Amino acid sequence: MTSLKQMFSTQTRRMASLSPWIYRINAGSCNGCDVECATTALIPRYDVERLGCQYCGSPRHADIVLITGPLTARVKDSVLRVYDEVPEPKVTVAVGVCPISGGIFRDSYAVLAPLSKYLPVDVNIPGCAPRPQAIIEGIAQAIAIWRERL
Amino acid sequence: MNFIKNLMQNLVRGPSTVSYPFGPAWTPDKFRGRVAFKLASCTGCRACEQVCAPGAIRFDKTPEGLRFMMWHNSCVFCGLCEHYCPTDAIQQTTDWHLAHAVEDEFTMAIREVIAYVNCSACGAKTLSSAPNPVGVNPPFSAEEIEQQRNLCPGCRKKALAERGATS
Repeated sequence: MTSLKQMFSTQTRRMASLSPWIYRINAGSCNGCDVECATTALIPRYDVERLGCQYCGSPRHADIVLITGPLTARVKDSVLRVYDEVPEPKVTVAVGVCPISGGIFRDSYAVLAPLSKYLPVDVNIPGCAPRPQAIIEGIAQAIAIWRERL
Repeated sequence: MNFIKNLMQNLVRGPSTVSYPFGPAWTPDKFRGRVAFKLASCTGCRACEQVCAPGAIRFDKTPEGLRFMMWHNSCVFCGLCEHYCPTDAIQQTTDWHLAHAVEDEFTMAIREVIAYVNCSACGAKTLSSAPNPVGVNPPFSAEEIEQQRNLCPGCRKKALAERGATS
């Protein structure tokens, strides 16, 4: 019985590792990075689904979280609440310079960047906005980290 | 029947998807990417620090000299530093491979020191920065730039006057 359970567990892990789902949180972004994230999924030229990824609509289905924006004071509580709904193990990716350092909004009274003060970030993708291929590169690194955690 | 034409075209052209990260990715020649710094050309004028909108470029004084620091995780690729650099010491490359694990966050930076030297003419302590050749007529040769590098501002002015240059 235990071996059957174990086999089921390893098989599901193996299957899950092939298709990490992506969830995107906008933490007060200017929409530039969100457009680039959408580009990776919607434009056949970039096509992030080759890596087995799919953008999903609910945080409860997600494995990899992409966070854009400098974490404005107004959106902070909502972002943390949505982030907590993503089940473990999860990999957090900061897209753009805003969540990493604050970028152009650094030291603003309305901005709480860097994001790593509030959440455990795993991969950074700097850029303003990052190139779609750079986002795919970061997602590929996130998938490698996620497979280790699984 | 338009779809048959499209189908045929797609069969001939192949998929439009760029194979990156499994293969190379095409980058435009004028792409504004990661900033590169050339210490030998830097005059230490700090114009780039002044114009850097997100504050990614910083200069600070250390016992060894004037330290140039630039953090890629704050750079927005606006290109102002490149535009205002009088000697093209700071330039943007077409490199966009910047994604990194968060442990490497603070190694994603340029840290270079313009060292202090003693002036080769008067012996005073000065920065061994490149001279600013803008407006100097006739322009500096490579040897003259190397000579000027180790002179203090006063001796540079004198050398420039003796050379008969207008600056």
